[in-house]
Amino acid sequence: MLKMVVCIKQVPMVSELPWDPATGTLQRDLAEGMINPACRSALEAAIRIKAAKGGEIAAITMGPPMAEEVLREAIALGADRGVLLTDPKMAGADTAVTSFTLARAIEKVSPGFDLVLCGASTSDSETAQVGPQLAEELAIPGVAYVDEIEIQDGTVRVQRISDHFLETLEMDLPGLITVTTGLHAPHHVPLGGLQAAFDKADIVSLAAEDLGLDPERIGLKGSATRIINVYSPTAAKKNLVLTGAPKRVVEQLFERFDDKIGGAIGKDLKTDKRA
Amino acid sequence: MKHKVVRKAVRMFAEAELAPIARDIDRDARFPWEVVEKMRPLQFFGLQAPKAYGGAGMDSISYAITIEEISRASAAVGLCLTVHNSVGVYPIVRFGTEEQKRKFLPAMTGGERIGAFCLTEANAGSDAGGVETTAIRDGRDYIINGTKIFVSNGGVCGMALIFAVTDPKNPQRSTGVFIVERNAPGFTVGEIEDLCGMRANPVSSLFLEECRVPEENLLGRPGDGIKIGLTALDTGRLGIAAQALGLAQAAFEDAVRYSKERQQFRKPISSFQTIQNYLADMATEVDAARLLLYRACAVKDSGRPFSAEAAMAKLYCSATATRVTNLAVQIHGGYGYSKEYDVERYFRDAKVTEIYEGTSEVQRMVIARAVLAQRT
Repeated sequence: MLKMVVCIKQVPMVSELPWDPATGTLQRDLAEGMINPACRSALEAAIRIKAAKGGEIAAITMGPPMAEEVLREAIALGADRGVLLTDPKMAGADTAVTSFTLARAIEKVSPGFDLVLCGASTSDSETAQVGPQLAEELAIPGVAYVDEIEIQDGTVRVQRISDHFLETLEMDLPGLITVTTGLHAPHHVPLGGLQAAFDKADIVSLAAEDLGLDPERIGLKGSATRIINVYSPTAAKKNLVLTGAPKRVVEQLFERFDDKIGGAIGKDLKTDKRA
Repeated sequence: MKHKVVRKAVRMFAEAELAPIARDIDRDARFPWEVVEKMRPLQFFGLQAPKAYGGAGMDSISYAITIEEISRASAAVGLCLTVHNSVGVYPIVRFGTEEQKRKFLPAMTGGERIGAFCLTEANAGSDAGGVETTAIRDGRDYIINGTKIFVSNGGVCGMALIFAVTDPKNPQRSTGVFIVERNAPGFTVGEIEDLCGMRANPVSSLFLEECRVPEENLLGRPGDGIKIGLTALDTGRLGIAAQALGLAQAAFEDAVRYSKERQQFRKPISSFQTIQNYLADMATEVDAARLLLYRACAVKDSGRPFSAEAAMAKLYCSATATRVTNLAVQIHGGYGYSKEYDVERYFRDAKVTEIYEGTSEVQRMVIARAVLAQRT
């Protein structure tokens, strides 16, 4: 039986978020959470593999207690069980420490796993580091930014687009892949499945102590990197309002922007005008 | 946590699949079969039906949230779902025999057959005892004759619950509910009504001419009809309340957004106290409506009688929808009166929530009866 682990992260639903100026991290507790889109694609990939080849899917997430939501959602979508890593000591972890923590948890909850699937990157930080680092931590091969996935006996063959080239790679299992949102568009959540995921679901919650982790090695304490600053980029756009009758407005538009409009439609309007 | 996750899941569905087409299907009065197709496997057509019959087995608050979120995007599709689930599927779940459940429910919960509830006639509606459609016994069958009007889902229904009297001399005591399939001989769907709102839902008349149905299709006993109807409508009212709430929520959100964008006197109109007062009232009413509805749902799930609570929720949610959509148009000014913005659709859709599945006058009647029955 193919044993799969899907790492999912709860991310804020909105891009404009309050953040904690003291630590430079996002105030996640104030936002509505959702499964990170690429993680949902990773889950979808696992669900398709399971449908074709059979197997077991364990969804794992690290986050505040409310991250349990995304595990229930993952179970509604087709995961068999959920693992929640939650502990104030784990909070504020950078990507390296996150990978370290996830690796120790995966070894504990899914020994002898065949395939770990992660989202290629997350919509709230976009580092794309956790997946590849997790492969290192687990001492298994890994391929990032995967689109197509084909499981064969003891190996996985994947395709990804890299610098405009389509690469086909094959690696032995156990292995790790990070999945893009490209080919694995997720399904909508089935309502009956969601109800069932709340009535009865196999979810375990683990703290640092359960994993035997040294508090100095995890969370903000164990993190070598610090976020110096997080801010929303402000676009300094200037609006130009053209007034007058429609004909006059169009004339003004062409007077001011004929080079840009011409470029867009592939015509040199200045030459045309002269002709 | 469950209710939050249900809301999120349904909202993501509605925003992806319904919101982009809601204006078009209203303009074209088109029922969106392509969305129904996507809703079927997600169990939108068996929201509260037991899992054994293909349902999702949801609790009532989850049900209300689902209808609310779908209606926030398209109230006409919300109407389809609430009618189907609460007055189409539910009466069979509640009053059907095991055989009837096994025979009729899977196709309904799977969404292959959309349900309709046919009480209203030219001379019956608020007066549920005034049904003139007849169902006369003929051997092991009943022969149904009559005309039903203003049937929500009429144009697309695959299964209709028809209220008919088995003894025309004693209509009150002989009203029965018959499960009639669309392909039954003598069953015809009339013209689609040209209505003010809910235009994407094909509301129509249904004609029954010498329509023969086997006696196994009678729900309960002859004479149970009014009881079944009123029980179904109690549940239906939660759905209509949720639909009205979804409309009010949508209008409120649009009004807040627009008031921050629209500049007059070189300021956003949200900076004016009059607009702020409108928004404050809208927020308060929407919140109160939501709490009243969820309370009624909680009472239902606790197994206690909930008629009065459902009537209060329906009365208040529908009045809130009418007021809030009206204010949303007002805040949008001239643009709000234009089809360029969604608020005019919300405004047109809202009114009927005060009319169908028991008018506001009937809700007050139900509430007053409960009030007066209490010991003082």
